[in-house]
Amino acid sequence: MSEIKRLTQIPVLVAAIGLGSACVAGSAFGSSGGDDVLVLKVGKILTMNADDDVINNGTIVVRGTTIAEIGKWGEVDVPAGADVIEMTDCWLVPGLVEAHNHTGGSMSDLHDYVYLTNPGLRTLDTVAPQTPDVEWAQSGGVTSALLIPGSGTNMSGFGTVVKFAGKSADEAVLKFPASIKIAQAGNPEGYWWGVGRMFMNYNLRATLEQAREYNAAWEQYESGQSETKPLFNPMWDDFRGLYRREFVASVHTQIYQVVMTTVDMLADKLAIRTVLDHSTFDGWKTARLVTEQGDILTMNGPRQFHFDRTQRKIHGNAARWWQSGIRRLGVNTDAPVIPQHELSYQGAMACWYGWTPYEALRGITRVSSEALMVDDRIGSIEVGKDADVCIWSGDPIDPRSTCWIMVINGDVVRDARDELRRF
Amino acid sequence: MNWQHGVTVRTMGLQMMSMKQNRQWRFGSWVGSMLSVCCAFAFILLGLTTATAEAASASTTTANMMSGTEGVLLAVLGQEPQRRGRRGSDDDADEASEDGTEKSGADEDEAVEEEEEEDPDTYLALTNATVYAMTGAVHRNVTVLCKNGKIHEIGTGVQVPDTAEILDVDGYRVYPGLIAVRSSGILGGGDPSDSSDVYSMNLTLALAAGITTANTGNLAAKLTYGTLEDMVQKRNLFESLRYSSRNPQGKKSVRDGLRKVRDHLRDVASYEEEKRDNPDAEKPDEKWITGEYAKYMRLIKGEAAAEVDANTVHELIDLCDLSEEFGIELVIRGAYEGWAVAPRLARANVSAIVTPRDTVNANPRSNRPSGSTIENAAILYEHGIRLTFMPVGSWFGSGTGISMGGLAGRDLQHLPMEAAFGVRGGLSGEAAMRGLTIDAARIMGIDDRVGTIEVGKDADFFVCDGDPLHYMTQSRWTIVNGRIAYDKDKESLFEHIRKGGDVDAPPPTDHWPRRLGQPW
Repeated sequence: MSEIKRLTQIPVLVAAIGLGSACVAGSAFGSSGGDDVLVLKVGKILTMNADDDVINNGTIVVRGTTIAEIGKWGEVDVPAGADVIEMTDCWLVPGLVEAHNHTGGSMSDLHDYVYLTNPGLRTLDTVAPQTPDVEWAQSGGVTSALLIPGSGTNMSGFGTVVKFAGKSADEAVLKFPASIKIAQAGNPEGYWWGVGRMFMNYNLRATLEQAREYNAAWEQYESGQSETKPLFNPMWDDFRGLYRREFVASVHTQIYQVVMTTVDMLADKLAIRTVLDHSTFDGWKTARLVTEQGDILTMNGPRQFHFDRTQRKIHGNAARWWQSGIRRLGVNTDAPVIPQHELSYQGAMACWYGWTPYEALRGITRVSSEALMVDDRIGSIEVGKDADVCIWSGDPIDPRSTCWIMVINGDVVRDARDELRRF
Repeated sequence: MNWQHGVTVRTMGLQMMSMKQNRQWRFGSWVGSMLSVCCAFAFILLGLTTATAEAASASTTTANMMSGTEGVLLAVLGQEPQRRGRRGSDDDADEASEDGTEKSGADEDEAVEEEEEEDPDTYLALTNATVYAMTGAVHRNVTVLCKNGKIHEIGTGVQVPDTAEILDVDGYRVYPGLIAVRSSGILGGGDPSDSSDVYSMNLTLALAAGITTANTGNLAAKLTYGTLEDMVQKRNLFESLRYSSRNPQGKKSVRDGLRKVRDHLRDVASYEEEKRDNPDAEKPDEKWITGEYAKYMRLIKGEAAAEVDANTVHELIDLCDLSEEFGIELVIRGAYEGWAVAPRLARANVSAIVTPRDTVNANPRSNRPSGSTIENAAILYEHGIRLTFMPVGSWFGSGTGISMGGLAGRDLQHLPMEAAFGVRGGLSGEAAMRGLTIDAARIMGIDDRVGTIEVGKDADFFVCDGDPLHYMTQSRWTIVNGRIAYDKDKESLFEHIRKGGDVDAPPPTDHWPRRLGQPW
C-alpha cells in the first residue's frame, strides 16, 4: 500500500476529530464585514463589562463590525438572512488582549540598539499581518496585542496596538501611538560597555524632560501664550500624546527598588500614564505606593512566580499584587518569551500560584484593554463595541479548553472546526 | 560510632530512615557536618540580614541567634519523624558500595532474613480515601493500608493495626504517584543513590508536582525524600538510538550493525542445530559483541526498548521500517508529526513521549502534511499508541527539569498541564492521566511496581485537592514507598497558597525586613 494513499486519508480523520467535540456544529458562517449580520448563540456569555454580567444561554447579534445586541436566547430577534453560529455548549468571551507582545511584526526589528534612549523609533513600520505568529496567536483566542520593541535600551520606541486580523498593516492597526516602551532596568545594562541604574535613570529622565519641554513649547504656542512657533521635530512629536495622557508608557520594570523608581519618576514626577509591564520578582512589595499613586495599571508577567529566599516561599506574583490591594491587574506573555497563544495559560499559572480565574480572565480582557487605553473599542462584550469575540469550549483559562471560533471586526477569521491541522 | 551526630540528628527531629547501618552513620556524620556548616552560614546570613534590616535586632543575643538558626534548619529539614527500623548490616553495605551494584528489594530481604531478625512492620493507612486507581476504577470512601512501603489492602472495613500512621485524606483525591519519563536536576547524576541530596529543593518541588518516580540518567528512581533507601527502581531503562536522516552514514551503520547481530544470532541457531550431529561444530565467535553491538543484541533480543528522537513524517516512517525489519521495540520522543502517520506508527507498535504543546509550523517546502497540531496526542492515542508526556520547556530551562526562573507551567513542576494540553486537542482526561501514570510505567517497564493503585504495588500516591488536570490543583501530600515525602502544610514553599483550601486565603506576613524569632 502506498504511503501517499494513507496520507490522503489523514485530513478526513483530523476533520472528524475536530467535529467530534462537545460543541454542536452550527450552520453557515463567513460574513465579510459591511452590513452583514452575524448571530452567535452560545451556552454562556462572559461579557466582562463593568458590572461583570454573565449571561447564560445568550445570543449576540453583530452588525457590520460591531456588536448590535446582546441578550438571552429568545429575547434577541435573529434577523432573517443572518449567518448563525450555534454552539450551545460553549462560552462566548471577549477576544483576549495582550499588553506586551513582540511578535506582531518582524522579529528582526525587535531591537534597534542605536542609543541608550531612542525616542524616534516606532513599531508601526514593522507591523506584519498574516504571519505564522499571527495564526498561533489566533489559536489562543488572542485578538489584539500591543506590539512593542524589546528592552535592550532604556527607551526603544513607540508601540502599536494591532488586531490579529486584516490583510494589510493598515487594516491590522488599532491604535498608534499606543505606548512608549521604556525599560527602566534589567536589560539595558548590557548597552555598549555597560551602564548602571544611576546613569540609566538620569539619561531616561533627561530624554523625557526634553520631550516634555517640546510638548510644553507647542502647547504654549497653540494656546496663544507664545508667539514663537516651535520647530517641528519628528523625534519628539509623538510624545505630545504621551503628555496629553492619550497613551501610556509600557514600562519594563521589576524588582521593588526599580518599580519604586518607576512610580516616582514616571507616574508622579512626569505625570505619565504608566503601566508596570513585568512587575515581577518582588515588585509587589511596592503595592502600597502603586495604590496610593492611583492611576497605574499592572500587567504582570511573563514570570508568574518568585522564589523568596528569605522566607523560602514561592509567591505567585499576580496573587501577591492582588492580595496587596491592586485591582487593575492583568498578566502578559512578553511573546515570544511565552508564546502569544498561551496568554490564557499565563492566567492559569497565576491562578495555580494563588490568583482566581475570573480575575485572571478580566486581567487579559477588560483590564488589559484599559491598560492600552483601547477599552472604548475592545476588551468586553458590549453593544457598540468592536465585535472581537471568541467561542471557547469552556473556561478560557483552562488549558484543556479550545478556542473554536474567532471573530474580529465582525468577521469569522478562524474556525478551528474546519482546520485540517488544528493548532 | 559518632554518638554526637546521632544526638544532634535525633534532637533535630530528623528522619533517620532505615538505611543500612553503616550508611546511616556515614550519612549521620554528613548531616552533622553539614549542620555545623549550615549553622555557621546561617549565623552569618542572619547577622547580615539583621545588620541591613534593623539595627535594634543587631543586639540580639547569641542564644537567640542560635535558636533562630535551629528554626531555619528545622524548617528546611523538619518533618514529623517517621521511624523505620534499620535493615541490613555493615557487610551488606560495604558489598553494595564496593561493587557498585544495588540489590533488588527481594534479594535484600532474603539476605536480611538470613542474617538478622526482620524489623517490625510499618504501616500507613490512608482513610476516607477517594482512590483513582488508574485501573479504570474509582474507589470511594475506602481505606488504603500500606505495609512496609507496599499497598497491602484497599477497601472498606480494613483492619488498621494500632501501630499504623493514619492519614485522613477526606476531601482529597488519591492518584498513583506521577511518573516523569525524563528528568534532570531532581536527583543526582550517575547513580542517584550515590549522588543525590535527598533534601534538595528540586526534589521537594518535584514531589509537590505529584511526581514519585523519575527517569534520571536512564534509570528509574523514586523521589525518596530524606532517605536513600529503595531509591533505585530499575536500571538501563532504554537503549538510546540515533537514526536521523541528517546523519545518513549513522543510519547506515545502525542498520549494518543490527544485520550483523541478527546474522550472528542465526549462525548461533545453526550451530546449535549442527552441534547435535557434529560435536566438532565450530561455535560462532562472540568476542566482537561489545559496545554498540551489545546494544543491538539487547534490542533484537527484546531486552530493552530503543529510545529515539524523531519528529518528521519521514523520520517516523524510517523508524517504523527499522523496527519492523529487526523486531525492535521503539519509544519515540517528540513525534510532533506523528498525527500524519499514526496508522503506520500503530502497526509498528511504538510508544511515544509527546509534548502536546509543540508549536512547529508546517513546512511549506514539503509535499505532505507537516507541522505540529494540538490534536497529535489524541490522534496517536486513538490509534492505540501508548503515550506519555514531556513538558515543553522555556527560555530558562528544559521541560525535563525544574526552573526557578519564574516562567511557570513549562517544566516538571507542572507536568500534568502538558497532558492537559493534550486534552485540549481531544485526548480524554482518562487517557491523559494514564499517560502520567500507568502508561508511563509501561513505557519504562516498571508497571509491575508503580503506575496504578493495586494491592502489592508500591505505596506511591499523589494526594491532591482536585483533578490533576485542572490548573489550580496542588498536591496536599505526596507519598513515596509508604512514607509521606511531601506535606504541603509542613513545607514552607506552597503552604500559603489557598491555605486550608480557601481561594481567598490571606497572604503570608511579609518578612522584609525579616525579624528574628518570627515564625516562617
